[in-house]
Amino acid sequence: MSALIIFGLLLALMLTGMPISIALGLTVLTFLFTMTDVPIQAVALKLFSGIENFEIMAIPFFILAGNFLTHGGVARRMIAFASSLIGHWAGGLGLAGVLACALFAAVSGSSPATVVAIGSILMPAMVKAGFPPRFGAGVITTSGALGILIPPSIVMVLYSISTNASVGALFMAGVVPGLMLATLLGLTTWWRAWRGKYPRQPRATWAQRGRAMRESIWGLMLIIIVLGGIYSGIFTPTEAAAMSAVYAFIIAVFVYKDLKLSDVPRVLLASANMSAMLLYIITNAVLFSFLMTSEHIPQSMAQWLLGAGLGPIAFLLLVNVLLLVAGNVMEPSSIVLILAPILFPVAMHLGIDPIHFGIIMVVNMEVGMCHPPVGLNLYVASGIAKMGITELTVAVWPWLLTMLVFLGLVTYIPAISLAFPRWLGMVH
Amino acid sequence: MSALSLFNRVLDRLEETLIAILMAAATLLIFVAVVHRYVAGMAIPGLQDWLLSLHFSWAQELCIYLFVWMAKFGAAYGVRTGIHVGVDVLVNRLSPERQKPVILFGLLAGALFTGIVAAMGANFVWHVSHTAQTSPDLEVPMWWVYLAIPLGSSLMCYRFLQVAWRFNRDGELPHHDPGEVEGLDEPMDLPAGVDNIHPIAAGRGAR
Repeated sequence: MSALIIFGLLLALMLTGMPISIALGLTVLTFLFTMTDVPIQAVALKLFSGIENFEIMAIPFFILAGNFLTHGGVARRMIAFASSLIGHWAGGLGLAGVLACALFAAVSGSSPATVVAIGSILMPAMVKAGFPPRFGAGVITTSGALGILIPPSIVMVLYSISTNASVGALFMAGVVPGLMLATLLGLTTWWRAWRGKYPRQPRATWAQRGRAMRESIWGLMLIIIVLGGIYSGIFTPTEAAAMSAVYAFIIAVFVYKDLKLSDVPRVLLASANMSAMLLYIITNAVLFSFLMTSEHIPQSMAQWLLGAGLGPIAFLLLVNVLLLVAGNVMEPSSIVLILAPILFPVAMHLGIDPIHFGIIMVVNMEVGMCHPPVGLNLYVASGIAKMGITELTVAVWPWLLTMLVFLGLVTYIPAISLAFPRWLGMVH
Repeated sequence: MSALSLFNRVLDRLEETLIAILMAAATLLIFVAVVHRYVAGMAIPGLQDWLLSLHFSWAQELCIYLFVWMAKFGAAYGVRTGIHVGVDVLVNRLSPERQKPVILFGLLAGALFTGIVAAMGANFVWHVSHTAQTSPDLEVPMWWVYLAIPLGSSLMCYRFLQVAWRFNRDGELPHHDPGEVEGLDEPMDLPAGVDNIHPIAAGRGAR
């Protein structure tokens, strides 16, 4: 009963268009004031202690690092490197775009940031090289989604906050699915380009490739610093995020010199703005899940679903449908923070691995970012490509279809996510 | 009115400076703490003893507090920049006349919530300030730390009212462009990097 009231209230408030964080907070306050006698002091303490956790602090650091990388010329050199490697194949710059997105995703934790970083350079370049605008927009919008699957990933940090899963193991579990999805998107690009006879780049010589690699090596090293550092235990994920922020600042300002020192305060402010928004949602989502737990909602939901004779296969199908529907109206961080605490206990009862479940959620979020009405990648890409959302929706479908097939594979073949972290000894 | 607009301008400036500095400070702090941990492990005569005498065990705690303050004031700044997103599928379908009361309701609900939190937080801080609670590593009084809730939330409440007031007057809402950093120009033309690799112009229809 209380579950119905809580979700009804939350849904009603959210549909008025108020910020999701405010809707979550007001739901909790209304319910606590009118229906329970939970001391208000406990709520006030939760408001603070909700984010009093060092793991969460990886988020502002990754956002800051991402902003330095986006505006500091790292993306530009990665594109040049990628196009020198595979630009002469069918699809040329498009394939290079997929590879550049995958490389940039390995240093950045956000999908829209990847779309901005790669798309703002590559989309105009592709149009200039003679590709139909739709093709470029479709490639970058969907490949940008790799940002949250290939580690580091802000969405994975959020999942681990909600479920206490290990961030390090999640990051490692994202490597193989990330490479696989990049390959599949690349194949789709190649096939479309080959059929459409789109332009290719002239083949680069090995000397040119070497030069492009030397140019981009500063950005590429960050992959080793973050992943190697976390895996070898030199850093915790949060420390790795802070190190990559400082490293990205140094290469943007002193090595590549694409960012002036006087631009740094603006980058700091923009990063603080984005981080504070996410931390504010987290605070209120923690409050919300405190309410859920005190009303025993996840447990009763788990019992109800299990009582209905739901097996793992049907449950995972249900989860995918639910997350895809939620992806229609909400952005990923809110979905993960609200739904992970509810779905997670059921998944545990059914014997689904917490890391595998996390990867399923992340891939769902990726799909959600690429289709209307609220796909954030679509909006970012439409801003860059100066293309309407409707046209862009048509443009992304071949890649979106590929992503849905991939989602099916990841959902029902746990080994894709788990084999690599298991081999590293991070998952049992 | 000019006194109010001067006050607003000073407040805007303070808010921006504070959150940018907190962001930078937290990053530098963790960077220094990590570097210290590794350099202190190396056997460099003289330097090592000095490094070992420094302790950074409080770094994590301080970093959390810096970010909590950044988050509370940054959330207020976020209201002004329109970064707090909601579910707007339904609202967008309404006619402009019907949209207005719904959007105003959302903004006032934001003001209400942050107002309540500010009051609760103030009450909470008042109680804690009468105890001897200190933080585990830094040993500063806890109420200093908790002060971020009433201060940040009051400011956020003020921002919601400000945005609602302006929306009611001009019908304009702050809008955040995701992924863009204000004031930085995006290199929209073909960058030098792509061209340098392939000096010959991209061939059309290579087949």
